[in-house]
Amino acid sequence: MLVGAGSFSMLGEAALAGLARQNGGQNGGQIGGLPNVSDPEKTYANITRQEYLDYVSQYRDFEEQMITEAQTDTSLIDASRENAQIASGIAQGVSDRNASRYGAALTPAQAQEQRRALERGNTLGSIQSVNDARIAQRELNQNKLADLINIGQGVNRSSLSQMGSAAANATQRKNAYDSAKAASKAQTMSTVGSLGAMAIMAFAF
Amino acid sequence: MGSKPKQQDYQASEGEKASASVAMAEYTYFKQKYDPLLQKMRDDSLGTNDDKTLRGRANADTMQALTSAPMAQQAMSGQGSEDLAQAYQGQLGIADKSAEDIRNKKQMNVLGTARGQASDAQSGMAQAANLATSEALERAKNKQLVSQAKMTAIGQVAGAARAQGMANKQTTGQKMGANGMGPPQEVKGSFFSPVNDAGQKVSGFNNRLAFSNIFGGG
Repeated sequence: MLVGAGSFSMLGEAALAGLARQNGGQNGGQIGGLPNVSDPEKTYANITRQEYLDYVSQYRDFEEQMITEAQTDTSLIDASRENAQIASGIAQGVSDRNASRYGAALTPAQAQEQRRALERGNTLGSIQSVNDARIAQRELNQNKLADLINIGQGVNRSSLSQMGSAAANATQRKNAYDSAKAASKAQTMSTVGSLGAMAIMAFAF
Repeated sequence: MGSKPKQQDYQASEGEKASASVAMAEYTYFKQKYDPLLQKMRDDSLGTNDDKTLRGRANADTMQALTSAPMAQQAMSGQGSEDLAQAYQGQLGIADKSAEDIRNKKQMNVLGTARGQASDAQSGMAQAANLATSEALERAKNKQLVSQAKMTAIGQVAGAARAQGMANKQTTGQKMGANGMGPPQEVKGSFFSPVNDAGQKVSGFNNRLAFSNIFGGG
């Protein structure tokens, strides 16, 4: 169930205040009205984290509600059934008012035929509109689901891209570390070799 | 041989610092100004205001089409209300579908923006301007037009017949005596048959056609 708008706004304010507090350590106050960002990397990390938390608190329920609706929504079909009752009442009212306006006095047979015709027309209209509503509902639900999948796919793509960057950076760091370790080892060995050579030379002469 | 690296050589330039400050300020501004708007759009997209607007429009369209010129003949016969009921249901169905479509678009725009994806930026409310006409309303409208045309035609025929009947009654002729003797007598036409100059009743298709002088003949 989606929570109310008021609590969302409060969460937004609270999140913003929290973000400001988090960045307070690395941001040394304000300069000329602009915040001083002394550690952009950490600030960026905080913003990224906070953006996700904001999404979870403000839009996750909304998104899940839409995903459920796209698969189960029958509001159009339900409304079409209610419309049949409304239409019947309105048509009868219009007919009665017109009869009154023109001073028409229907015979009992005419009145009965009118009722029958109205019921018949209403039933036919109801069947037609429920069937139309079923088709429309399916079409709208499918479109909604397709749009949701499209958005989800976009999110998935950018998430994978972010993960790919993180993985590439991690691999790069590991390789750099291994290279540095190997270079250090080689340097040590070279130094030891040089010292050994110098010692031999010193003892030999 | 160079000196060892100094930490101040690796600090951010003034340009980078300014860029980071502006980015932070813009981010904070966005969170304060635009986030509440997006949340409002999210809450609006869950409402039913569009449903009410479009259903009202559907109601107006139906009534405009079918009851703007109430017909006495329909009132007297008690017919036509079934067509109105069907047309009304059809229009309401279209209104509901359009409203649902608009709501879906709004929700997708909100979610797309919140998720950093492209937003359609169209509410689809333009649909309200040209709300489709249901088949039922078209049928009812056409039926009413045919009914009106029939009544008009009947009225025209009756009017023409009455005028012709009166004209027939106005015709006069001089009828001679039985053996050509005696004074001629004036004969007047009846409602259904005129008389010619000779005081004879014009009857039969050919005689009536000739009398009408429609082809210029006598």
